[in-house]
Amino acid sequence: MEDESHNNTLPNGFNTGSPESPFLKTSTTTTQHNKEQDRFLPIANVGRIMKKVIPPNGKISKDAKETVQECVSEFISFVTGEASDKCQREKRKTINGDDVIWAITTLGFEDYVEPLKTYLQKYKEIEGEKLSIPKQMRSEQRLQQHHNNYHDQNNQPFNGAYASSNLISQPPYVPTDQKFSLTFSPNSIQSQLRQQDQIDSVGHWYE
Amino acid sequence: MDKSEQTQQQHQHGMGVATGASQMAYSSHYPTAPMVASGTPAVAVPSPTQAPAAFSSSAHQLAYQQAQHFHHQQQQHQQQQLQMFWSNQMQEIEQTIDFKNHSLPLARIKKIMKADEDVRMISAEAPVIFAKACEMFILELTLRSWIHTEENKRRTLQKNDIAAAISRNDVFDFLVDIIPRDELKEEGLGITKATIPLVNSPADMPYYYVPPQHPVVGPPGMIMGKPVGAEQATLYSTQQPRPPMAFMPWPHTQPQQQQPPQHQQTDS
Repeated sequence: MEDESHNNTLPNGFNTGSPESPFLKTSTTTTQHNKEQDRFLPIANVGRIMKKVIPPNGKISKDAKETVQECVSEFISFVTGEASDKCQREKRKTINGDDVIWAITTLGFEDYVEPLKTYLQKYKEIEGEKLSIPKQMRSEQRLQQHHNNYHDQNNQPFNGAYASSNLISQPPYVPTDQKFSLTFSPNSIQSQLRQQDQIDSVGHWYE
Repeated sequence: MDKSEQTQQQHQHGMGVATGASQMAYSSHYPTAPMVASGTPAVAVPSPTQAPAAFSSSAHQLAYQQAQHFHHQQQQHQQQQLQMFWSNQMQEIEQTIDFKNHSLPLARIKKIMKADEDVRMISAEAPVIFAKACEMFILELTLRSWIHTEENKRRTLQKNDIAAAISRNDVFDFLVDIIPRDELKEEGLGITKATIPLVNSPADMPYYYVPPQHPVVGPPGMIMGKPVGAEQATLYSTQQPRPPMAFMPWPHTQPQQQQPPQHQQTDS
């Protein structure tokens, strides 16, 4: 019992309000720790997923969760490297979903391919539905895409901006545009203000 | 089990090298179990008699069949678990409607992708696909690791269970560097185990008895609860693995069993 509660305490510590904010706070204390944690996916998310295939009375040690954290990062780097090589051979600059699935196939994870193809297909269908929305919404999407590209080229601390944006809004993070989902949040306050203006405009039109 | 977990965490909290120390503890844990088995009076008595009997074809055949049956049953169970897992994955994806809420943060995935200097631009869909791929990866790795946890009669998934899952599946070879050598060396037995189903010739007989060794690692009560037949099979597993590991004849095996420290029994 004590061990179980102890294990639960740590994930809760990481989940204070937003999964991102603890790291933001930690950065004031230890920059090195923050950078190290950025290399892995949040241990709380990893632990939550692991529990799905463990019997209800089963437990997971913290070092097991940390090991899986490292394994997942290695998996992402492994697959990304393969996808990147393919893009370079084909003289393309952008890694897309099909490249990721191709790399996963090449690296031996055959069982993942069909589920991922189905997943990507459904994602594109839903994205396609969004594109059929009137021009105002489409221009908003373009603006969003523009900011993504800007972020890519300048390699800015997107994560920090994300957390900052989240802090400005309500404590329990809710997407500012609930009606129309956005892939990424704006990475600057000014763009957020413009975003709000556009949202108001779109919202008004929608009503 | 609770004490084991506390000790483990204390080690980790103590110092950076604690992880290695913790793993060393696990490595030494396995040899302790055979001593427990041999320590039991009921088991100890037949032990000397089994030595010459081991070369008898009839006794050998019996133990072989029992071990084969056990292994086959175990393998079937594992395959069923994995098939059910993938079936559930397809169902889950078919029902997916919301692509906003991912079990993993897209920004973090993107940052890990960008760590590679060769990576220039990433489309919006790539991190989304990765979020699902990573979820499946975590689920598969955890499920395969849990199989090892159950084989050792434990209820807590530990780092060495993950090491075992990695060493048993070629597709996870790229993760070998993440697992300490001690863990990998310990799970070398797992690699041997993977070879067993492919080869059934008598020459490989000694290696066949590596799998049943794991049940021996369980608490003494579990051993006592087993039927006499299984007990004999356990005896073979206790003795047979020694030659391939130490490459020494049986007379030398007994002193080795006595060497492991006693305090590890607390974990059982």
